[in-house]
Amino acid sequence: MTGAEPVIEAQAIRTRLGGVWVHDGVSFQVGRGELVALIGGSGTGKTVLLNELIGLMRPTAGTARLFGIDVWQADQERLNHLRQRFGVLFQDGALFSSLTVAQNVAAPLKEHTRLPEHLILQLVDLRMALAGLPLAALDKKPAELSGGMRKRAALARALALEPEILFLDEPTSGLDPIAARAFDQAVRTLCDSLGITVFMNTHDLDTLWGIVDRVIVLSGGHVIADGPVAEVARVDEPWIRSYFAAHVPHRGG
Amino acid sequence: MGAAAAASTPWHQLRQAGAGWTLSLRGRWCLSELAALDAALPVPSIPRAAIVTLDGHELTALDSAGAMLLVRRLWQAGVAWSDVRFTGLQPRQTELLQLVEQRFEEVVLQGRPRPSLLARLGRRAADLMSEVYSRLRFLGHAAASLAHALHRPRNFRLRETFVQLEHVGLRALPIIVLMNFLIGVVVAYLTGIQIQKFGANIFIVDGASLGIFRELAPMLVAVLVAGRSGSAFTAQIGTMKVADEIAAIITLGLSAFQVLVLPRLIAIILVMPLLTFVGGLAGIYGAMLVADIQLDIGHIAFLERMQDVLQLKTVVIGLAKAPVFGAAIGLIACHNGLRVSRDARSVGLATTATVVQSIVAVIIIDAFFAVVLSELGI
Repeated sequence: MTGAEPVIEAQAIRTRLGGVWVHDGVSFQVGRGELVALIGGSGTGKTVLLNELIGLMRPTAGTARLFGIDVWQADQERLNHLRQRFGVLFQDGALFSSLTVAQNVAAPLKEHTRLPEHLILQLVDLRMALAGLPLAALDKKPAELSGGMRKRAALARALALEPEILFLDEPTSGLDPIAARAFDQAVRTLCDSLGITVFMNTHDLDTLWGIVDRVIVLSGGHVIADGPVAEVARVDEPWIRSYFAAHVPHRGG
Repeated sequence: MGAAAAASTPWHQLRQAGAGWTLSLRGRWCLSELAALDAALPVPSIPRAAIVTLDGHELTALDSAGAMLLVRRLWQAGVAWSDVRFTGLQPRQTELLQLVEQRFEEVVLQGRPRPSLLARLGRRAADLMSEVYSRLRFLGHAAASLAHALHRPRNFRLRETFVQLEHVGLRALPIIVLMNFLIGVVVAYLTGIQIQKFGANIFIVDGASLGIFRELAPMLVAVLVAGRSGSAFTAQIGTMKVADEIAAIITLGLSAFQVLVLPRLIAIILVMPLLTFVGGLAGIYGAMLVADIQLDIGHIAFLERMQDVLQLKTVVIGLAKAPVFGAAIGLIACHNGLRVSRDARSVGLATTATVVQSIVAVIIIDAFFAVVLSELGI
C-alpha cells in the first residue's frame, strides 16, 4: 500500500519532556494516500509526536519531514507554505469561537486565496457537505454545536485548502458510536476520492478495524509494531495484547 | 454532422460528436486556478437530455474545488447527472466527481438558510428581553439566597467570604491609597492655583475636604474596585462555568449562589465603605501636602479648618454611597460570570462587559444620589 514517496517521515525522533524521554528514537514513514493510525497508551506522547510533525513542537533530536521537507530546518516562509498543504483537526476542534461555522471554514480560504466571495461561499457549502455537516449549522457559533458537529465543522475547515495530508488528533473521542462510525466513513471517503493522506491518533478500536490501512504502535518511547491492523493485532506483546483484548469481554455473552 | 467545436477555452473544449456532446477538460482544475477558471468558463450550451461525455485525457489535475465548479456548470446547463459519461478520467477522479455531485445535490436541495432582516431584529429584541429577565431573576435569586443564609447561618460560607474580603479589600489597599493620594494632590493643586488669585488660601480646605469625602473618594474607589475585583469575579466565575465547575457544584448538592455569589457580594459590600474611608484619608493627606507647600497652610491649620467646615453628614453621605456602588458592581460581575457560555471567548467578553457596565452603573447611582439628596435638602 505504501506509495513511492513517503509524504510523512519521522526519523529517530527523541523528545525529552519534564525530565522524561517521551520518545526515544521513533521512526516511521507514511506513503501518499495511506490512512495510518498511531496508537499507544495515554501518556506515550502521541499528541506530542503529532505536534512535532506539524511544526508546533520541536523534538529534542531527530527529524520530521513532510513532503521531504524537514519541518524544523525550513524557514518561516517555507514552513507557512508547507502548512497550506496539510490540514489539522485538533482534539476539541479548535474552531474560532468568535466566528460562525461558515466563517470558520472560509477563514483559510480568505487568508490564502484570492477567490471572489461567491466562490468562497460555494466552496464552504461543498466542504460542509463533504464533512457531512447540515447547512443549517452554517450560521451557528461553535458553542451552539454538539461535539460531533464541532468535529465535522473542524474537519470542513481542515479540508478548506485541499490539503494533501490530514492530521487528526483523536477524531472520534467524545462521539457516540453512531457519530463516530459516520465520521470514520467520511474520513475514509475523503481519503479515497480526494487522495488525501490521513494520519491520526486514536484510541478507537472500531476505527482501526473499520477504515485504517496501517497501524503504528507507540510504547515506551519506541515504535513497537507497524503494519496492517490484522497483523499488528497478532503481535505478541503485552500492551498490544491487552489493547486488542480490551473490548472483547462482553457482559452476558 | 461530425465533430464540430462549439466552444473552447484553455480549460475546456465542447464539441458535438454524433448524438452526444463531449466536454474535454484541459489543464489544472484546482483550487489555485479556481478564480480564473470560474471567470473564463461559460455555462456550456448543451441541449437538454443530451448525453455528455467528460473527456479527461488532457486533464492534468483535478481537486474537489475543480470538481465542484464542473458539477455546478453542468447543473447550470441543465444536464442531468445520469446523462454524464466519463472517458479518459482516472478512477479516482471519477469517484471524486461522483462524490462531489452527490454532495452538491444535497447542498442544492437543502438551500442556504439566511435569516431575514426582520428575523434578526426579532432575535435582537428577544435577546434584550431575556437579558432584562435574566438580570431580574439573578437579583431575586441573590436576595433569596441571602435570606436563606440569614435564616440558616450554618450554610453561610464564612471562609470563602474571608478569602474574598482579603482579595477585594486588603490587597486593594495599596492601589486605593496611592490613587486617592494622587487625586488629592491634583485637586488641591488645581484648586490652589485659582484660590491663590483671590487670596482665599484657607478655602482650599473647604473645597478639598468636601469634594474628596463626598464625591471623589467614593467614585474613584468604585471605579478601581470595578476594574480590579469586578472583572476578577466575572473571570473567575466565567472560567468555572466554561470548565463545568458550576455544574459540579450544583450536582454536589451545593448552591452556586451560596458558594460563589454570596461571599463575593457580601465581601464587596462590606469592603467598599472601608476602602472609601481609607481612600478619603489618603486624598486629604495629598491635599494637605499641597496646601503646605503651595499655599503655606500648615498641617495643624489645615486640620483645624477641616474640623470647622467638614460636616459629619458629608462624610456619612460619601460612605453611604459606597456599599450601594459595591452591591451594583458585585451583582453585575457575578451575573455576567454566570452568563458566560461554553467557549473561552465569552469569558473575555463578559469581563469587559462587567467593567463597562459597573462603571456606568456607579455613575448613574451617583447622579441619582446627588439629585435625591439635593431634593431632600440634605
